[in-house]
Amino acid sequence: MMQLRALLRGVVGLLLAALLWEGAVLALHIRPEYLPRLSTILAAMAATPGAYWDGFLRTLAETLLGFAAGGFVGVLNGVIFLRLPALRDMLFPIFIVSQTIPVIAFGALVVLWFGNTLLAKAVIAFYLTFFPVTVNTLLGLNAVDPRQVALLRSFGAGPGTILRRLQLPAALPQIFVALRLAASLSLVGAIVGEWFGDTIGLGVLLLQAMYNENVVSLWAAILCAAVLGTGFYAVVAYAERRIVFWGAEQ
Amino acid sequence: MSSALAETAAAMPASAPPLLEMSGIGKRFGAVQAVQNLALSVQPGEFVTLVGPSGCGKSTLFNMVAGLDEPDPGGILRFKGRGCHARELLGRVSFMPQRDLLLPWRNVIDNAILAQEIEGANRREARARALAMLPEFGLAGFEKQYPHQLSGGMRQRVALMRTFLFERELLLLDEPFGALDALTRSMMQRWLLELWQHHRRTILFITHDVDEAIFLGDRVLVMTARPGSVKLSLPVNLPRPRDPALLTSPEFTALKREVLDAIEEEAMKSFMASA
Repeated sequence: MMQLRALLRGVVGLLLAALLWEGAVLALHIRPEYLPRLSTILAAMAATPGAYWDGFLRTLAETLLGFAAGGFVGVLNGVIFLRLPALRDMLFPIFIVSQTIPVIAFGALVVLWFGNTLLAKAVIAFYLTFFPVTVNTLLGLNAVDPRQVALLRSFGAGPGTILRRLQLPAALPQIFVALRLAASLSLVGAIVGEWFGDTIGLGVLLLQAMYNENVVSLWAAILCAAVLGTGFYAVVAYAERRIVFWGAEQ
Repeated sequence: MSSALAETAAAMPASAPPLLEMSGIGKRFGAVQAVQNLALSVQPGEFVTLVGPSGCGKSTLFNMVAGLDEPDPGGILRFKGRGCHARELLGRVSFMPQRDLLLPWRNVIDNAILAQEIEGANRREARARALAMLPEFGLAGFEKQYPHQLSGGMRQRVALMRTFLFERELLLLDEPFGALDALTRSMMQRWLLELWQHHRRTILFITHDVDEAIFLGDRVLVMTARPGSVKLSLPVNLPRPRDPALLTSPEFTALKREVLDAIEEEAMKSFMASA
């Protein structure tokens, strides 16, 4: 009930913002080169829904693939580094160096390696996401109460059982903080990836609109990206609330 | 019935091997000699309580008996009459640390069966057994609750239930009631005694509280200041089941005097050493 009301208020807020946009453009005579009316943008999207829908799905696929790979490898890295601190000390500096390479420069490389494939974009999304997940997983695993580990050992639990029954669940709140960040970052990665050449995708629509100085379709692409980004973030945040229901207690 | 229980410890034939036997046990952490030349033995079915000044190595002793820490070479550790390494005791002793350490993502039942689950028990059967035990632990109807929804006393009872469900001959309880308020605490003590009389397990119980040590135990062990060893082993020949009125009886007071004197001597020693 409470959640429904909050949702309703959110929708009302969005509608108000839309009205304000439409009204301001009309009342202040803002030139469409700067800011077109919302209704014009929506009408343009409705006129050629196929292009936007295809772009949306394509970018969504790249984002999800990069996010899933980044999340999986990040958690795996965290577990491996917990077990092998020597390996952590060896690889961590390399990871940090890799993260200082601007994503644009890295994007150019990846497209050279993988060509204009969906995989290339997913790799860039992966590149932006695996590091925060690695760092937070390791942080969460290391923060487990040693007395809890001792208790499980006294029950005769081995390292694998302790990882499954205690360390991974205890690290989930930290992991989810990184996953929410990764949800936004993976979309950035996918869109940047598309700028290096592709024919479908929201990034492609953005670029085309920019070259053609088509402000209306530029805004339409921005709206699509916003819907995708917000929706994906909301899904991850919802999963977090369901899975980590106990919060950061203890 | 009550006198029979009271006599179990005293009447235990001398030939019965102790469940746990330690002698000449030492443990050093860097420059600190935590425990030195420690000797104790616990008979099957006995309720032994352990008191001592803070920092006397009680927890070190417990960690060794739980199998978490290996004593320094040279001492003798026997479990069921057989010499063994401390690590062989992992999974053979039911250990309850000071904090309840419940897992926040598991509900009451699943926290209670944690140890059995680690042993590889069938989860459905373990749950069913735990469910049947809930009323005895004052937790009936709370099986689906999560730790953050429970009071401190209830959390502690879930932790005790987890310890009891891990069916081992020896229970190690490290100040299980230390964090509870006085009223809840005395209720929990009587309840623990009932539980012990019902289940007949051997218990080694650490506490700071002399009253608690005498009220619960068949025997009170007083530890010396660091380096810790057993200074005094005092049999408590008070009738069971024990009643709170006992706390003000002359026999109780006499025992308490003896224990307090021993503790005070040790507390003075450690005070002088640090001054």
